[in-house]
Amino acid sequence: MKKFFKDLKRYNPYALYAAKAELKSGVADSYLNWLWWIFDPILFMLVYTFVVKIVFNATEPNFPLFVFVGLTAWDFFNKTMLNSVKLVRTNKSIVTKIYLPKYMLVLTKMYVNAFKMAISFALVIILMFIYSVELTFNLLYIPLILVVLFVLTFAFASLFMHFGVFIEDLSNVITVLLRLMFYMSGVFYSIQGRITGKYAVFADVLMYVNPLALIINSLRDVMLYGTAPNVLALLAWLLIGILATCVSVHTVYKYENSYTKVM
Amino acid sequence: MSKAISVKNLWIVYKSLKAVSSKKAIFTFGKSKLETFEAVRGVSFDVEKGQVVGLIGRNGSGKSTLLRSIAGIFSADKGEIELYGNSISLLSIGVGFKANLSGRDNIFLSGLLMGFKESEIRENLDKIIEFSELGKFIDKPVKTYSSGMYSKLAFSITAVMETDIMLIDEVLSVGDEKFKKKSYAKIKELISDKSRTVIIVSHNIDTLSKLCDHIIWINDGELVMQGETKEVLEEYKKFMQ
Repeated sequence: MKKFFKDLKRYNPYALYAAKAELKSGVADSYLNWLWWIFDPILFMLVYTFVVKIVFNATEPNFPLFVFVGLTAWDFFNKTMLNSVKLVRTNKSIVTKIYLPKYMLVLTKMYVNAFKMAISFALVIILMFIYSVELTFNLLYIPLILVVLFVLTFAFASLFMHFGVFIEDLSNVITVLLRLMFYMSGVFYSIQGRITGKYAVFADVLMYVNPLALIINSLRDVMLYGTAPNVLALLAWLLIGILATCVSVHTVYKYENSYTKVM
Repeated sequence: MSKAISVKNLWIVYKSLKAVSSKKAIFTFGKSKLETFEAVRGVSFDVEKGQVVGLIGRNGSGKSTLLRSIAGIFSADKGEIELYGNSISLLSIGVGFKANLSGRDNIFLSGLLMGFKESEIRENLDKIIEFSELGKFIDKPVKTYSSGMYSKLAFSITAVMETDIMLIDEVLSVGDEKFKKKSYAKIKELISDKSRTVIIVSHNIDTLSKLCDHIIWINDGELVMQGETKEVLEEYKKFMQ
């Protein structure tokens, strides 16, 4: 673990610069440039709003805002996880020529996606003013919620990056898993509001077993409804996230030098 | 003289690890027999600080594998490699660039990976660009470069951002005649610095005899001979005939 923090410090400037460069090149390649960073979340928000509000007749108040908060957190997790499986392969040219701790590749992707998430967040805040949502001190919980999200994403993405090196079609598996998780996280519906009756137990289980559901719900609690989140559950997941990070960092350190032999 | 690199009884084995499908991973877990190939077999040697060492051997004798493991890219399956805290860089054909980033960004990324600070790289940026002769192409994505331009940029980064130990893998012949001369001169200049340790892999006996003061000859992953440039090269010539 000491080595982990030392390496983190040593290679962090690289990860930051790589993320910056990646964002820049992504912008240079497309017609609408950086406007995509803004369009992307808005358009998806509109898609879900259309489907759920009009087709399924949703009743959640301030629905666009409701979806937006969910999408913001979900996209960060989803994009990082999707990238993670193929990360070593896509960075082959670097990995085979110079040593770097491989989880730094995950961190680079997380910086890229965190930047996009920040834009999404800014849009959420603008929407909050438009819908004149009441602001409360519960907003101070946001950093805690984001830390939980970051730690968990890092841990899982590093682990999947490791297995992705050895198992070629893992990306197919993870696509399905992520889709399942997406529907179970209540991105466009309220888990506790929608899963009721004889399935109500299931809603509680989902809330505690699926960290993304908890995170999205907590964000809505503090941002939209001005209530405190379930801090205990968040802290529990933070602890799990830290333990999982230890495991995946340890695994990556142990096997990373044989990655290049596989490719 | 103090040591810069010491390699002790180094073994590197390729397990013909192949990426498999998840179906295979589940059904053959733990059962699969792996074919192994020993690329480096029990090699030991020391390199002293300031030495210029040539590494020679036939194709497929394990030279590049050895170099990569010294650079920390491959793990040793047995044995040890000690670098005594020196910074190290590996220069080889087709160095690691991110294809859709500009040459300038890639200079920063390579430099950061080599362990330099952003400010140090900025100081040397003009020198690198000038040496690489890329001109306005430096702000174009690397994927638009010709292979010559690619290697020129790679060479320039390693040559200007000087590390304690430089590993050079058959790149002395990159670029056109003019750049070749220039890079040869640059290598000579780098070598003349007595605090820098260099390992050069090459097939060119002529180049090695001019640049190196020590030669290590490996064949089929085993160390055949090491010692004074002249002696080893003479034996090597005999062997190759």
